[in-house]
Amino acid sequence: MPNKVTIWKLRNNNQLRKSYVNNNINLDEFDALIKITVEMSRFLYPYFRKLLQSKEDSYKNSVIWNDFKKRLIELIKERFNLDSMRVKKLLNQTENDEIIIKSLLILSLCISNLGYQRLKNFLFDF
Amino acid sequence: MNQNKLSFHQSSVSLEIIGLPDYSNNENKDQISIISQWKLIIIDKPLIEGKVEHLGPIMDAFYIYSNLLIKNENPIYESKLIDIKAENLHIHNVVLKSSKPNVKPLILKIGNSLLLDTINCFDQLNESSRVRIKKIGVSNNFAKKIRFGLNTKVNFFNFFMPPFIAICSLVLLSSTFIYFFNPVIDKEKNELINPK
Repeated sequence: MPNKVTIWKLRNNNQLRKSYVNNNINLDEFDALIKITVEMSRFLYPYFRKLLQSKEDSYKNSVIWNDFKKRLIELIKERFNLDSMRVKKLLNQTENDEIIIKSLLILSLCISNLGYQRLKNFLFDF
Repeated sequence: MNQNKLSFHQSSVSLEIIGLPDYSNNENKDQISIISQWKLIIIDKPLIEGKVEHLGPIMDAFYIYSNLLIKNENPIYESKLIDIKAENLHIHNVVLKSSKPNVKPLILKIGNSLLLDTINCFDQLNESSRVRIKKIGVSNNFAKKIRFGLNTKVNFFNFFMPPFIAICSLVLLSSTFIYFFNPVIDKEKNELINPK
């Protein structure tokens, strides 16, 4: 990754984004994106853990979870293509909890070198 | 003889490995190759400990279960030693069965956070250069379709290039025969054979 602009361009390969551009990602770029994800997850692990822990308790209206979800939905509405069925599913209040929790679990499991391989395998298998 | 002790920590979970180096292999004195005991300490939960032969299956169980969990498959793992089953999206039931007779199984309810801490502790152990155990957990073997996906370019090239080169060489070779073929001489020859 020579600079931040390259990362920004690669982000636009996401089909769910409004600014979707179909550029082919090569294997090196794919690897670099996974490494960035692993580093970010390592940094954010305490926060992910707190989020997941907040859902384990019987009272479901935890402040940290609600704040996180509110901001996530704001970002999705701002940046994602709202006509896409997959984005609609992400915004569906009854369904999206499971998707968000699974995503947090995946990110929390990739904070080590073994986790890097785990995330790679998971994405290839996706 | 003093035993070495190594600890791996991740938030609310600690994993302690106790053992000795293999001096016959000229190992450092702070290395652990012969594990005599291990302890998994989870805050607010009973202590889990066992022999080396139990550590591998327990680590495997947690790794397989976490894979099932994130792959949207039914997350149930059952074995002689350990069962892990999801109660709901947030809570998992772990049943540890003792190898000794007349000992009741230990039942633990752990949330996603403790499950993640435990797996990350096992990852640290797997990655540690100071403990020598049979490395388990994540394999580099991708499923067939993935391997195909990765090597598509190479396969495509290998698949089309040999016949393409063969056709090109055939065309080149056969085109040289055009110089030897003269339709006028051929026609005259035919007329000599058949004077009518």
